[in-house]
Amino acid sequence: MGILSQEDSDYLKKELEKITNNVIIEFFSTDNKDKCEQCDNIRAIMKEIMDLTDKVSLKEFNIDKDKEKAEKYNIKMAPVLIFNNKDNGNIKFYGVPSGYEFSSLIEDIMDIGTGNIEFDEGVEEKIKAIDEDVNIMVFVTPTCPYCPAAVRTAHKFAMINPKIKADMIESYEFPEIADKYKVQGVPRVIINEKDGFEGALEQEKFLEKIIENL
Amino acid sequence: MILNLDKNKKTVSDNYDAVIIGGGPAGLTAAIYLGRARIKTLVIEEMIPGGQAATTVRLENYPGFPEGIGGAELGSLMEKQAKNFGADIIYDNVIDVDFKNEEKIIKLNKREIRSKIVIIASGAKPRKMHVPGAEEFEGKGISYCATCDGPLFRDKNIAIIGGGNSAIEEAIFLLRFVKSIIIVQDLPKLTAEKILEERLIKHKNVKLTFNNKILSINGEKEIKSISVEKTNSKKKMDIPAEGIFIYIGYIPNTDYLKGHIELDKFNYVKTNENLETNIKGVFAAGDVCKKTLRQVATAVGDGAIAAFMATKYLENEGG
Repeated sequence: MGILSQEDSDYLKKELEKITNNVIIEFFSTDNKDKCEQCDNIRAIMKEIMDLTDKVSLKEFNIDKDKEKAEKYNIKMAPVLIFNNKDNGNIKFYGVPSGYEFSSLIEDIMDIGTGNIEFDEGVEEKIKAIDEDVNIMVFVTPTCPYCPAAVRTAHKFAMINPKIKADMIESYEFPEIADKYKVQGVPRVIINEKDGFEGALEQEKFLEKIIENL
Repeated sequence: MILNLDKNKKTVSDNYDAVIIGGGPAGLTAAIYLGRARIKTLVIEEMIPGGQAATTVRLENYPGFPEGIGGAELGSLMEKQAKNFGADIIYDNVIDVDFKNEEKIIKLNKREIRSKIVIIASGAKPRKMHVPGAEEFEGKGISYCATCDGPLFRDKNIAIIGGGNSAIEEAIFLLRFVKSIIIVQDLPKLTAEKILEERLIKHKNVKLTFNNKILSINGEKEIKSISVEKTNSKKKMDIPAEGIFIYIGYIPNTDYLKGHIELDKFNYVKTNENLETNIKGVFAAGDVCKKTLRQVATAVGDGAIAAFMATKYLENEGG
């Protein structure tokens, strides 16, 4: 039996039918068994989705063996899922996108697969105009209902500007990095290794924080 | 492994017979009753179905679930039930309202919705602590949501400020992650249900301290301690803690209602026993109301009454 309920799976199938562009997702696992505790769960989640549509594809790599590729996409650790439609790999999920983050994964797939990405008024133009490298890290836990809003805003920004790199990081799976950035409340957002803020901000305010930290 | 799938992507109309502000137990119950009365109903929820209850790990005092039920799960079941009877649900913030005319206007981020009646069920949120250090350390060691942030306090020695149901329920949840807990209460006893207290004190790594007035939260980069004054002896002391969860009550989500409807001095919505507000056609239900007990069980009752009165109002006023 699958992980999704019949109802969720029926709903998802209908949603995924709206996809017009193929969505290319790549998965980097690792030989380190402790780190890869969630790898099977990630594979299982992706299988659930791919059983419902042929528009989403998954290729698996290994961070320890496919070093060159990992470096190209600036992959720091594994397991990680990256959206790679534009051979840029700037949209990432570090750790398992379970709990509330499952919705973030699905909504990302729908945005990229349909090309309909919704923005608040005036935000899209300003994001597209940013001509500097921006690294956004969004720390989450799967039980945090406020977190997907922050993840989705960061990922949407990355979808329309290749200079923006947006990572979801599951704090419980990556305690060293969560500690390094002093994550004690989620969502916590770090921009360009510098300043951070807690909480899910509206797109406009999120954008202001990016500009402050350029 | 749990996968929470958000299934609300549909667009909604701009005109309704009934708009419910808030998708917690009160709002969703009202939606079930209004839906069954065949009244065109919209629920506007800010975050997730179930409202505050959805951030509760397990509800054990809501009847019908002898083994208890997860707050988020109960919320999504209520949402499903409301939708089964035809209610629409959108996820958006109410920024402002206009109740001056018979037709009520609800202003959202990017649109306005018009409705004949409104049920206010926007609930309450955790009360913030106002002592030196509390603001600086929020999100940096101080949390108001154990479900969200609990996993980040693995193997830490933490303090919980408060002694009511929320404080003790969340303490029991946090014991999965943390090394030890001290409950810092201002009164001479806990106010939580006895069954929760019994369950808590069974754990060897739990301590309780009473009669504490919180003076400050201290630390440099990280939290080190809480300074308290004993309410009886006035003696001052420091309680060591590496993280703090605060459960000192709630404040109503009524900022958007100020000047539009009568609130009490604590900003809760004033209603009569039929949950009518001072504005005709506007009702209130659940935690947002001035009331004695704020629980899922009482919110559900409010939702039913408000929906019943709203239905009668629509019939009598000719809708």
